[in-house]
Amino acid sequence: MHLDSSQEKLLHGEGGEAKQFAMEIVTKVGDAVGADSLVPIKSAHVLAHYSSLHDAGVEVLERFADSGGKFAVPTSVDPASIDLQNWKSFGIPEEYAHQQFRLCDAYAKMGGMKCWTCVQYQVCNFPKQGETVAWAESSAVVFANSVLGCRSNKITAGMDLACAVLGLTPKFGMLENENRVAKVSFKLGIRDLDDLDYRSIGFFIGRNAGARVPVLLGLPGSISSDQIKHLGAGAAAAGPVTMIHLPGITPGTSTASDAAAGEELEEIEVTRSGLDDIKSDLNQTSEPPDLVAFGVPHLSAGELGELAKMLEGRKLKAGVKMYAYTSSQAYDMAQRTGIASTIERSGARITHSTDAEISPLRKLGFKTVMTNSAKLAEIVSSEGEIKMRYSSQKDIMAEVTR
Amino acid sequence: MGPMRGRGLVKGSAEGRALVSKKAFTFAHGVDPQTGSVTDVRSDIRGMNVKGRILFYPFGKGSTTASSWFLETVRLGNHPAGIVTEGVDLSAVIGSTMAQLIYKKSIPVVSGIPRTVYSGIVNGEDVVLDATKGEVRGK
Repeated sequence: MHLDSSQEKLLHGEGGEAKQFAMEIVTKVGDAVGADSLVPIKSAHVLAHYSSLHDAGVEVLERFADSGGKFAVPTSVDPASIDLQNWKSFGIPEEYAHQQFRLCDAYAKMGGMKCWTCVQYQVCNFPKQGETVAWAESSAVVFANSVLGCRSNKITAGMDLACAVLGLTPKFGMLENENRVAKVSFKLGIRDLDDLDYRSIGFFIGRNAGARVPVLLGLPGSISSDQIKHLGAGAAAAGPVTMIHLPGITPGTSTASDAAAGEELEEIEVTRSGLDDIKSDLNQTSEPPDLVAFGVPHLSAGELGELAKMLEGRKLKAGVKMYAYTSSQAYDMAQRTGIASTIERSGARITHSTDAEISPLRKLGFKTVMTNSAKLAEIVSSEGEIKMRYSSQKDIMAEVTR
Repeated sequence: MGPMRGRGLVKGSAEGRALVSKKAFTFAHGVDPQTGSVTDVRSDIRGMNVKGRILFYPFGKGSTTASSWFLETVRLGNHPAGIVTEGVDLSAVIGSTMAQLIYKKSIPVVSGIPRTVYSGIVNGEDVVLDATKGEVRGK
């Protein structure tokens, strides 16, 4: 990889220990993936949650922070592993919270935005079309490439901090035009889509696209940005997808032909039976749930409003908890508009600055978790202990409320 | 069978028994760092242990935290000896790079070997990986 003279200096320690460590990481990774240079980024999004970073990740983040590392560009952060305000009331063990707060402190020391959300593009991190960013959080990367028209690779833990400290990222993958060309087409053969369908369609694409960039045809024009968020999250949870061309939505992509640079593509039909297969695969049991979880990725303020409408005048049945995961900003909005109290009156709780898939659900004793998130169902079942159920919000309400 | 040729992403060499998956793979929530055991219910090597093995899989999937799960297996000494993939799995590259920088452990990574090619390797077979040449072969 070619470095300019200022980058060479950083690699030799002239910019301090943290930048040197960051340069060692990005140059080794850049060489590994065949990047020829480092390019500037407009923003970063990093990970600082204990459940997935573990003690090794605490060492890495503290190494950056303690050696004077500061973020060189606006930097947001994924949810924490605990509700940073109300963790005690959710039964989080003290020593677990302690490790999370070590990560919080190190992150704050480096000057990051304390947003603690996986939907930073709905909260505090707003790059514009054409800009290069270095984001962790697979669902946000799909959104950045497919909807915002930004360029981001799926920057994984460790590398995220290095890019943020330098304000640079290796030029490869989704930063190169030729790698953004669609190589497979998915065609939606069904109508009347519910909340679960959007997540299942994403999951289906993630499973069948392999390493090829997909284009998705036949989405209703009424699709909301929240629905795209969940579709993208499903895709990224199931496979290596980092971008889905959505004609009419993705900047520069008006037609399938634009997405594919004029090439003919293999077409895979998304059928009702294909989605049913996903649904049955993500359903591991028919046992009643002890937890219902909504909001992987985080619910927007608007989605909290929809949830409040469904819960209005209803009560949770005995023996089941319901948590709605959101950002602290959307939670604040929900409190000011009365949405939060409607949700809480039903017995459900809103929890913010954390998310279900990165919280210690197993430690908290949950055995069966029900959700409409394909991403959550996939991730939690991967650990092999908690049994997952995957249903639409409407079907969940019918089963667990009265 | 002659050596399989791909591209060495993280240099170094390693030997070990093969552990072969034909499905998208992730360390994130999919491998227990405390033991090295594969927990992912959708993995075709569930219940097997990655420790000391040459791990083959076609693609990564899912969470961008996979590199830190990988690094935690290294911290605890339960990591694979080397990794072979079809597509570039950035998590493996970054995890292995960090392992070198932080724990001084070499875990070479080779990519560009399709599963149709590496499917000739059976689980448990002794293999030699030379990431500097980008080669993988049976011992």
